Amino acid sequence: MRDRSKGMRSLVIMLPVGLILLGLFWGLVNVVVGSFMSNDVPSLTLYADFFSRASSLETLWRTIWMALLTAGICAIIAYPVAYFIARHAKRRDLWVFFIILPWLVSLVVRTFGWIVLLGNSGIVNGMLRSSGLIDAPLPLMFNMGGVITGLVHVLCPFMLLSILSVFFHLDKSLEEASMSLRAGPLLTFWKVTLPLTMPGVMSGFIIVYLVATGAIVTPLMLGGIRDAVLGTRIYHEVTNMFNFPAASSMAVILSLVAFAVVLPLQWIERYISRNIHKIET
Amino acid sequence: MSATRIWSLLLMAFLSAPLVIIFGSAVSRTGYMSFPPSSFTLRWILEFLTSAEWLGVLGISLVLAILAALASTIASVGAGLYVTRRLRWGKGAVELAILLPLIFPHAALAVAIFSVVRELNLIGTFAGILIAHVIVTLPFAYRPISTSLSKLDPSIEEAAMSLRAPPWTTFRKVTLPRLRPGIVTAMLFSTIISFDELSVTMFLVGPNFTTLPAKIFSEVQDNASPLVAAVASFLVIATAMVILVVKKFFGLQFFVDPEH
Repeated sequence: MRDRSKGMRSLVIMLPVGLILLGLFWGLVNVVVGSFMSNDVPSLTLYADFFSRASSLETLWRTIWMALLTAGICAIIAYPVAYFIARHAKRRDLWVFFIILPWLVSLVVRTFGWIVLLGNSGIVNGMLRSSGLIDAPLPLMFNMGGVITGLVHVLCPFMLLSILSVFFHLDKSLEEASMSLRAGPLLTFWKVTLPLTMPGVMSGFIIVYLVATGAIVTPLMLGGIRDAVLGTRIYHEVTNMFNFPAASSMAVILSLVAFAVVLPLQWIERYISRNIHKIET
Repeated sequence: MSATRIWSLLLMAFLSAPLVIIFGSAVSRTGYMSFPPSSFTLRWILEFLTSAEWLGVLGISLVLAILAALASTIASVGAGLYVTRRLRWGKGAVELAILLPLIFPHAALAVAIFSVVRELNLIGTFAGILIAHVIVTLPFAYRPISTSLSKLDPSIEEAAMSLRAPPWTTFRKVTLPRLRPGIVTAMLFSTIISFDELSVTMFLVGPNFTTLPAKIFSEVQDNASPLVAAVASFLVIATAMVILVVKKFFGLQFFVDPEH
C-alpha cells in the first residue's frame, strides 16, 4: 500500500517532465528517421545528395569556419577584459552590467542595430565618408564579415561571463605564492593564472562554437544571399521549399559538426578541471 | 591607463554600439538609415505606445514567456525531486535527457520541434509555440533547481516526515521554502529566454500568429521603418530595468554564476 502510493507520487512528479521529453525525443526521432528516408523507403539518397554537391560542401565548410573563427575571436578579445574586471576594475558591478545588458537584449534587436551601423548609408560608412577617408561606402554588411561581427557581438558576453566566473572562484593566494617565489608577473600569468583559468576559456569556446554553428538569425540578417550556412539552408528548406527530409539530413550533419568539436573539448576541459582541483586540495 | 583597461573600454563600446544606435534611430526625424542624424522627434515612440498591433504582440510574448517559464519550472521541480530523492541509478541519463536541448545547435533543434508541432497540427498557433518554448527553456529551469536541491539536507525532510507530516505538507512547508532561490532563478531565466526566443519560433509562426521577436525580424526584412527602432529601444530599456531589479535583490553576481 505504502509502496504503491510512493509509486503514484513518483509518477505524478515525473509526468510533466516526461511529457516534455517525450515531445523532444519524438522530434529528434522524426529528424533522424526523416533523414534516412526517400519516398518512404530507407535510403542514403539525401546524404549522398548533400555530399555530392559542391554548393552543399561549401555551406558546410563555411559553417565550420564561421563558428571556429567566432569562438576564437571571442576568446581573444574577452580574456583580457575578464582579467581586467576580475583583477583591476574598481567598479566591477558597472562593468558586469555593461556585459549583461547587451547579452540579455533580444538577438533580433541587436542584429537590427548592426544593420543600422554597417549598412551602405549606415553610421560607420557615413562617418568614414564625411571624414573623407573613403569615397565609396565599404561593404561591411551582407557578407561574412558582417555575419562574424554580429556573431561576435551576440556571443562575446557568453565567453566573458564564462571566464569571469572562473576568475571569481580562483584563489588569489596561488598567484601570490608564485610571486613570492620570485616568478615575475608575466611568468606568474603564463604559468599560473592562464592555466588555471583555461577551463573558463574552454567552456566559453564550447558555448560560442555550439551557438554559432546553429545560428540562423544573424547570418540571415547580416549575410549576403551567397553566404548560406547550414542554419540558413535548413530554415530555407523548411519554410520556403517545404522539404522536411532535406532539412532533417542537414540537421543531422549540423549536429555531428557541433559534437565533433564540442565533445573532445568537453573531455579536455573536465580533465584539466580535475587536475586543477587536485592541485588546490 | 593600463592596456587591459583600454581594451576593456573598447570592448564595452563595441558591445553597447548597436544599442546606442537603436536609441538614436528611434528619436531621429529622418529615420535610421542616414548619417549624420537630424532633428529629434518622439513620434515613433508615441506611435509604438499607441499601436494596438504592436502592444498586442508584446502582450502575447509576455504571456507566452510567463506560461512557458511556469511550465518548465514546475516540471523541473518535479524532475529534480525525483532525481535527487527517489532515483537510485540512471541519474546521469535522466539529467542528460533534460539538458539535451543545450547540446544541439539551434537550427537542428528547431527542425525537431517543428516536426512535432506540425504533426500536432499546431503551426502558427499559441499552443504550438508554447510547447516549443517549454522544451527550449526546460534545461535553463532545471539547472538552478537541481543545484538548490542538492544543497538541501534531506534529513530535514525526514525529520518532518517522522513527525507525521504528510508528504504534501512536508513538501509545502519544508522543501519548497528552501528551494525558493532556485525557483526564482529558474523562472527568471526561462522567462527571458522564452521572451527573446527566435531561432526555433521562426519555424513555427504563421500568418495569423506571431511573437514580438518574430515580428521585429519580419519588419526589419520587409520595410525598415523607424517604428521598429522605437520598439527595439523599448525592449532595451525594459531589459535594463529587469537587470536593475535583479541587482537590487540578488546582486549582479547572479548573472555571472547563477548557481552559486
